[in-house]
Amino acid sequence: MYWQAIIPLWVVLFPIFMTPAIFILSKRSEKLRDGLSVLTAVITFFSVASLYPFVMEGKTIEYTLFQILPELGVTVRIDILSFCLAILSSFVWMMATIYSLDYMKPEHGKNRYYPVLIFTLGATLGIFFAGDFFTLYVFFELMSLVSYVLVIHEETPTALKAGYKYLIMTIIGGLALFFAIIATFELAGSVSLSKGVLVSKPSTLAFFAFVCYLIGFGMKAGMFPLHVWLPEAHPVAPSPASALLSGIMLKTGAYGMLRVLFYVFNIEVVQSARWDLLVAVLAVITILLGSAVALTQFDLKRRLAYSSIGQMGYVLLGMILFTEQGLVGDIFHIFSHAFMKSTLFLAAGAIIWKTGLRNINDLAGIGRKMPFTMGAFTIAALAMIGIPPLNGFLSKWTLSLGALEAGLPIYVVILLISSLLNGLYYLPIIIAAFFGGEEQEHAHGEAQHVEAGINLRGEATAKMVIPMVILGLGCFFLGLFPSNIAYELSLKAAVFLFRGGM
Amino acid sequence: MNLNYEHLPVIIVALLLLAAFLEPIVYRHKKSWAAPLVIASMAFFALSSLYLMAAVNYHGPFNYYLGGWAPPFGIELEIDYLAVFLLLTFSVIGLIAIVYGLQDLKHGLKDEVLGWYFTLYLLLMASMAGISVTNDLFNMYVFVEISAISACAIISIKESRECIEASLKYLILSTLGSGCILLATAMLYMITGHLNIGYLNDVLPRVMSHYPNNILISLGFFVVGYGVKAALFPLHVWLPDAHTAAPSPSSAVLSGLVIKVYAAAFLKVFLKAYPREIFLEIPVMEIVLFLSVLAILYGSIVAMVQEDIKKMLAYSSIAQIGYVFLGFSLMGQRAVAGGLLHIFNHAMMKSMLFLAAGIIIYSTGIRRIRDMKGLGVKLPLTMGAFTIGALSMVGIPGTNGFISKWQLALGALDLGRPIIVVVILLSSLLNCLYYMPIVINAFFGVKGEPELEIGKVPGVMLYSILFLGFGIIFFGIYPAPLLAFLQKTVTAIL
Amino acid sequence: MEVLSKLFNNYYYFAAIILFIIGFHTMLTHANLIKKIIGMNIMETAAFLIFVSIGYIEGGRAPILDEGFDQIYMNPLPQALILTGIVVAVSVTAYALSLIIKLYQHYGTVDADEIARIRSYKP
Repeated sequence: MYWQAIIPLWVVLFPIFMTPAIFILSKRSEKLRDGLSVLTAVITFFSVASLYPFVMEGKTIEYTLFQILPELGVTVRIDILSFCLAILSSFVWMMATIYSLDYMKPEHGKNRYYPVLIFTLGATLGIFFAGDFFTLYVFFELMSLVSYVLVIHEETPTALKAGYKYLIMTIIGGLALFFAIIATFELAGSVSLSKGVLVSKPSTLAFFAFVCYLIGFGMKAGMFPLHVWLPEAHPVAPSPASALLSGIMLKTGAYGMLRVLFYVFNIEVVQSARWDLLVAVLAVITILLGSAVALTQFDLKRRLAYSSIGQMGYVLLGMILFTEQGLVGDIFHIFSHAFMKSTLFLAAGAIIWKTGLRNINDLAGIGRKMPFTMGAFTIAALAMIGIPPLNGFLSKWTLSLGALEAGLPIYVVILLISSLLNGLYYLPIIIAAFFGGEEQEHAHGEAQHVEAGINLRGEATAKMVIPMVILGLGCFFLGLFPSNIAYELSLKAAVFLFRGGM
Repeated sequence: MNLNYEHLPVIIVALLLLAAFLEPIVYRHKKSWAAPLVIASMAFFALSSLYLMAAVNYHGPFNYYLGGWAPPFGIELEIDYLAVFLLLTFSVIGLIAIVYGLQDLKHGLKDEVLGWYFTLYLLLMASMAGISVTNDLFNMYVFVEISAISACAIISIKESRECIEASLKYLILSTLGSGCILLATAMLYMITGHLNIGYLNDVLPRVMSHYPNNILISLGFFVVGYGVKAALFPLHVWLPDAHTAAPSPSSAVLSGLVIKVYAAAFLKVFLKAYPREIFLEIPVMEIVLFLSVLAILYGSIVAMVQEDIKKMLAYSSIAQIGYVFLGFSLMGQRAVAGGLLHIFNHAMMKSMLFLAAGIIIYSTGIRRIRDMKGLGVKLPLTMGAFTIGALSMVGIPGTNGFISKWQLALGALDLGRPIIVVVILLSSLLNCLYYMPIVINAFFGVKGEPELEIGKVPGVMLYSILFLGFGIIFFGIYPAPLLAFLQKTVTAIL
Repeated sequence: MEVLSKLFNNYYYFAAIILFIIGFHTMLTHANLIKKIIGMNIMETAAFLIFVSIGYIEGGRAPILDEGFDQIYMNPLPQALILTGIVVAVSVTAYALSLIIKLYQHYGTVDADEIARIRSYKP
């Protein structure tokens, strides 16, 4: 047994056990609560990071903690894929937590927000370090349900309505997953990730299981036609929470689908039964629909949310190309999109926090007042469009190579169309922000900030700008060379999955 | 053979009956002793059930001949895995409900009837214990009648108009059920000459080809009889009123335990007395399966439109009893274990929900779901427990409701019936649709302090629901020993 | 013909079933609560009849062992059981009647339809 085996347990349980501590401390002192939240996120990140040398050697660990039902227990697993997602999540989480410190100052219910934020971190990492689908499902439900509290944090009627939609869709997705997992269990007698391919023969039940996996994970990933909760729920959440919802929690769906495609079924089953066609069609619709509808949205955060739908389409498309290059692009796009979208949401949050403006038409000239915020926004938006040398370009490039390798150039065309649409809806914001508009007084958010004693002039506070800028620079550096850490990880993970993922 | 625990089942029933009849006397002459007496009897029940469970688990099941008379003439008690499982479920939940009830009843009942309430409660418990352990159909009928009368009386004891009406409705339908059970018993006795379940199981395969009509009639009457009593779908009409009108601890026990005991009796009669071959020829289990599917859907859908929280919980019980019957009627190893598990799990969930609703009514007087906005701020622990119960009803992993759903769904898949799984999932979704808004409204969307008059919640009431809430989580995470035990139970039955 | 003779030979079963149906019907269809209780009693009587008739043998006598073993004995068990059953039925009836009295005090009628009408009028 390696000492690293304890790390997954630690990073899942540590935030979960810190939650009550944070909650109790929040009654005593706000400073202590904030500090402890950030500390927890930072420690979790570094704990995950300490796995790096271990997984780079290509080792995996899997062990069962205890049995809940016969043949069914809480299982822990570390491999390169789980590490990729975990390191990404804990990093973005850390940034979002730091960002929250100032962003949440004027908000109510902070004593609820921080514990829930940290708890969700633990649950999310639990998904990635789960060693079988049952454990994965448990943490998936836990994360989905607890993040409901983040979604409705503002408790406005709109938020409650969006939250209810989110909750119902989550439950539907959870039930679909339940069916899928139980059908897998019935077919294979196990849902472990260490058994290789669980279902190696297509059958009716296997098909329904596949469809239910697709519903369950696709729901989370915002796949068409199950995306309806997403554009409602993401904009109403507080911005750091939106960043996490869009940047990280959507990825849990993609992660689940990857595990399904490579561990429950295998490439031959899915391809021979032509189930991949189903995913492909839905993914293409998701890409085009997300990008096209984003054009028609004028609420900044709603536009970002629709853009997320489009981007998740890429990820879904990438995984059913079933080529190594495509898979590299796919996993790398998970990284890229997490960085881009969390930057965008955090920047949007800073704008809203500072000026109270949500409508894109009012954002003219904002770049001159908040250069760092809009700078980060610009980098991320350009990356979204796929301008080299940003990370969005690299992932699209790799995805396209993968599509060509699979002999499906049509997907390249779709990627290009979608990039064009991305350009159409991101560029006007940037242009208007830096070059358009006259200086004008924005009175909206003023009163509440004056009360909270926050300076209204110029930039948002440092605690907000720094995470944003770090993430924005991440977009830049992760695209600059094709040999950066995220790309290396994606490459290794893709090879690992392709060799059977053992 | 000097195993002194052998007499324990009889002692349990006898002692509960004795305590039941002592209760009014004690209450009249020494009021302060009445409550300790009922608690002590229930505690004895719980402890001896625990002891019996350990003993049976260790030494294996045993049979007890009442008065030393061996069957087929004497009454036989069979203390098998099923019996001790039921005993333990009933005793523990019953104990918690009455501990809670001591506070709540002072508030809800007239002072002079409290002693009688204890009598009825103990009678109900004694009869449930009797049904669990007896191996004799007529004896079972007698206990069924005792439990029917005491259950009706426990509803009508409040003497409000609704209670009396609900109670009368329950009584009439319940008597109808008893009549059916008696007639079915007669049919079986006519062709076999036995009332003992074990003997019936021996004799029936030999005579079933000679008397197909008797068997058919008896099956039909048993289904109707136990169906009425357990509120299986088209025969459920009495349940919503009865469980709504009763005092909260009674509702908890009625919904959590009493309808379950009839389901368990159904299981005993159908899977222990009748040979399995019968069900190949007569598709009675298919009918029950169909009814339970309808029950699950109907109960969940009707629960959605209820305004009164207790009525909603009552309709939810109709759906949940459907799960139990679903598991039994599938007749697979896993499915029956799932049905039994759901008896236990639902007993915990539903009694907890009813008790939580009781606290809400006790401290605020609110019964309408619409008025419960912001209750989570005022009664955080109560609503927290309610949330756990609601999540368990929906079947979120980590709660025991998930485990029973998993077990039932797997049981259905074992028998190649994925459509049943779809029904279970659909009902989970419906459960979510009516439980979640309560939770959401209670906790979120309230700005500032809600304007509610909150009375003080006695600690005992709060602790009892928190204890049950803890149980829900505990058996959601660590159901392995319970499941292993149920596996043994089912292997013994099938 | 065979069916008829079967019926004739088992006329007490036939009677029991008719009684049961009468009771069942009365219980479910009559609005008058007292009549419902009467129906309930008839139904139970039918069940008792069928039970007792199981043990009855034409010309048999109570199983008291006498000189000579050629006696035909009746089965005493059903009768003993039904004694218990009758006790149960009586107590149920008594309880039901007490409930009806209570209802009468509240509503001034024993008619279920009337009660339903009064209740719906009330809110």
